[in-house]
Amino acid sequence: MIISRRAALLGAAAVSLCKPALAQDAAWPSQPQHVFVGFPAGSSPDLLARIVTEPLAAKLGQPIVIENKPGAGGVIGIQQMLNAKDRDNTFATTINGPLTTAPRLTPNLGYDVAKDIAPVVLIATSPLVLVVAADFPADDLAGFIAAAGKEPEALSYGSVGKGSGAHLTAELFSDRAGVEMLHIPFTSYAEVTTAIIGHEIDSGFMAPSAAMQYVKAGKLKILGITSQKPFAQAPGVPVMAGQAGLPADFRAELWNAFIAPAGTDAGVIATLNSDINAILADEAVQKRLLDMGWQAAGGTPEELQQRIADDTKIWGAVLDRIDAKN
Amino acid sequence: MSGWEGFLHGLSVAVQPDVLIYCVFGVVLGTFVGVLPGIGAMATISLLLPITYYLSPEAALVMLAGVYYGSQYGGAVASILLRLPGTPQSAVTTLDGYPLAQQGRAGVALFTSMISSFFGSFIGIFVLILLSGVLASAATAFGAADYAAMMILGLVAASTIGAKHPAKGLAMVVLGLILGCVGTDVNSGVQRFTFGQTELMDGVNLVALAMGLFGVAEVIANIHVAERTGVPPRVALRDLLPSRAELRRIPFPALRGASLGSFFGALPGTGSTISSFLAYAAERRISRHPERFGNGAIEGVAGPEAANNAAAISAFVPTLALGIPGDPIMALMLGALVIHGVQPGPLMLEARPDMFWGLIASFGIGNLLLLILNLPLIGIWVSMLRIPFRWLYPAILIFVCLGVYSVRGSSFDIFAVALIGAIGYALSLARFNPALLLLGFVLGPLIETNLRRALLISRGDAMVFLQRPIAAAFVIATGLLIVMALVQTIRRKSRGAQEAA
Amino acid sequence: MKRDIPDLAGGLLLSVIGVFVLVYASTQYDIGLLRRMGPGFFPALLGGVLAVLGLMIALPAIARKGAPIRIAWKEALAVLSAILVFAMGLERAGLVPVTLASVLIASIAAPDRRIGWRLALALIVTALSVVVFHFGLKMTVPLWPGQ
Repeated sequence: MIISRRAALLGAAAVSLCKPALAQDAAWPSQPQHVFVGFPAGSSPDLLARIVTEPLAAKLGQPIVIENKPGAGGVIGIQQMLNAKDRDNTFATTINGPLTTAPRLTPNLGYDVAKDIAPVVLIATSPLVLVVAADFPADDLAGFIAAAGKEPEALSYGSVGKGSGAHLTAELFSDRAGVEMLHIPFTSYAEVTTAIIGHEIDSGFMAPSAAMQYVKAGKLKILGITSQKPFAQAPGVPVMAGQAGLPADFRAELWNAFIAPAGTDAGVIATLNSDINAILADEAVQKRLLDMGWQAAGGTPEELQQRIADDTKIWGAVLDRIDAKN
Repeated sequence: MSGWEGFLHGLSVAVQPDVLIYCVFGVVLGTFVGVLPGIGAMATISLLLPITYYLSPEAALVMLAGVYYGSQYGGAVASILLRLPGTPQSAVTTLDGYPLAQQGRAGVALFTSMISSFFGSFIGIFVLILLSGVLASAATAFGAADYAAMMILGLVAASTIGAKHPAKGLAMVVLGLILGCVGTDVNSGVQRFTFGQTELMDGVNLVALAMGLFGVAEVIANIHVAERTGVPPRVALRDLLPSRAELRRIPFPALRGASLGSFFGALPGTGSTISSFLAYAAERRISRHPERFGNGAIEGVAGPEAANNAAAISAFVPTLALGIPGDPIMALMLGALVIHGVQPGPLMLEARPDMFWGLIASFGIGNLLLLILNLPLIGIWVSMLRIPFRWLYPAILIFVCLGVYSVRGSSFDIFAVALIGAIGYALSLARFNPALLLLGFVLGPLIETNLRRALLISRGDAMVFLQRPIAAAFVIATGLLIVMALVQTIRRKSRGAQEAA
Repeated sequence: MKRDIPDLAGGLLLSVIGVFVLVYASTQYDIGLLRRMGPGFFPALLGGVLAVLGLMIALPAIARKGAPIRIAWKEALAVLSAILVFAMGLERAGLVPVTLASVLIASIAAPDRRIGWRLALALIVTALSVVVFHFGLKMTVPLWPGQ
């Protein structure tokens, strides 16, 4: 998550200019395509997959069947994609967890990210915001860090479980800010929000889309955002990096990617990559994603590969820190 | 906008032809899938979700909500006739509904359940109109300690259901609590009792558990028995309806159940499960003939059915007004709204009054439709019992398997049904109550996480359960219940001793 | 000899499960402290309670006469193997063949020895499940092998 944001559109243009001919099967796609999603219908990753696959089906001229196989934080969706025998017609969209932290957190994962997964394209990213109750004594990040630094566990934060994006981000933040906060795990962001509003806990990291309504209603306030640039969904929220003693490269983002099983025909991957890049360049699609709190991304398969490797390293270090504490 | 103005405004939205048509479609479909064993509102709504892209947001939500509460009417049919509850709430309905059906009073049980459901829904709507603002703030007032204390009260109250053998009832609750531990521990990320199965990381599938414990076990036990007893005789129409004396036993239990349901339903979590078990326990406690419960007591059907339908309605309050879904079905509804760019939350009542009040008004219309639709169907449902069981049970099994599969597309869950079915049959042979196991299973994870969360937040101070007023009230109520039960037992024992002397 | 066999066996079995859970949870998982309960705390506690409850059920049953029970071995075997076949075959063989097979297996337990009604029933149930789940609910599951 430290890689600087790249010119996604440039990458998209480059790929579509040199769209390679399909080596094996000129007629691909000759049948309906299956896209596995490791989350239930109606969840945010599912809706995102549908936003992308709807125009993709039109481009490919074949229907795309979304296969919801929820479970184990998205891991089951990937396992099912790998189990399907139908190479070149079976793909998946997934959040970052199953590709980056799952090998550390999930025993019997059943796949090796480097060997079994062929990256296609990064679909979208979402920063997180640091949220406190509207009547929290401090109004900015420096005040928050000062309050948290008074004594270990002076402040608490909520997450959606061990190893979740919210947990890891908060631990990365504590590490960089030099404070110790008390971790209170919940099962959903809605619960975390309620607990902050009800003053049970002090703070939490969450997607801007989950927090904005409560900010408008005067129940929560946002102290900063974890992206490197301001985010359209959270207008006026200051970037945390470089502030209040945080390093300038501080950055934490959730993301969502389109992947294929390893061994998928290179031509198929190139076609999908250029088609999805073109879809993500469409302003209507960008707006639909943004409404759900996602920033359209794009880029080459290699860039996605690099992002997986970088994030695995960063979050691995954070997990080491968490394990050392307990 | 006050509640009544809002409701009238909502009526004007709900009677628009396109909304009305989807309301009808939703409740009819809901009834149908509710009757089918295994497949319930959850699977149907997730399968319908893609279709809602093409509807207006109001029509989409009204249709999905119709499926949700329509399936509760249908679910009662399967629970009463075949002892096939798809949810923990309808497991309570089997406790007295199924004995009634076995006594040839299936029509009466169905009538009671439908009229109580209708009654419960209307009270739910009424409470919602009066208290929509207050109910929304109740959810934020509840903290971890309060939830833990509330659920422990629910468990203690409900475990009196198996009062003839308290140890056997409690053992089932505890076994359910243990089963609820299976899966990823939220606090530590540790995989508990998964034995290396990725499919178990999110725990045992609730539908597989309910279908195995009740459906499969019941089928095994019944194949032989049903053939020996043969086909029940054709019943006259007036036998389908309750007698006047029976009719009189419906309103008050339904009123009590609906009040419990309206309150607990508004609390995110498992309000609806707790309220139906509490309603049953309450009816049993205040009844002058508690021994009738479990053998076909009308009150044992009326109370819980009214409670779970009232709860189904008030459950929309935290979902829409706070963006906090109370259960997985509500989470799906939230997803449906997000598809249409509507973000549920504190601003929804002001920003989208059409949607909020239109939905509430559609509950009224939908429930009326359900009553009109279902009352004439009672005769048909009852005559279904005249189909020889050997024709029925293979179909039941297939539908159970497909229904379980439809929840998350996992063959593993069908294997689980076979294993749980074997265990369920063994439990039924030894006369253990599977409804209590289901209750423990649903509440267990919530009790554990809230208990641990409360102690984390209080930095290890157990006094938090007495310092928070809501938690303290529940703790005191739990204590009173236990003392009352002890006093009763001692009195009964000493009376027995006197008589012996 | 007076014995309530179901309660005796059931109680003992629950005790065994309870002891297993207690031992497994306390050796495999961290128990933690009251302030920061580990993942083993709750299950270990429950396992202990279940073990005691199991004994409370089993011990009185020794000196009590119980109702006789009859185990439906044949029915249980037919029903459970029908479900197992369905679980194994659904994604591999497809909905149609697996439903036919499972209905036929399940119907073995029925006391009616004739064959015609079984075939008819298998066809009807298969048609129903295809109509309801494939066409009605648009469930993504193959109908035939190799799809």
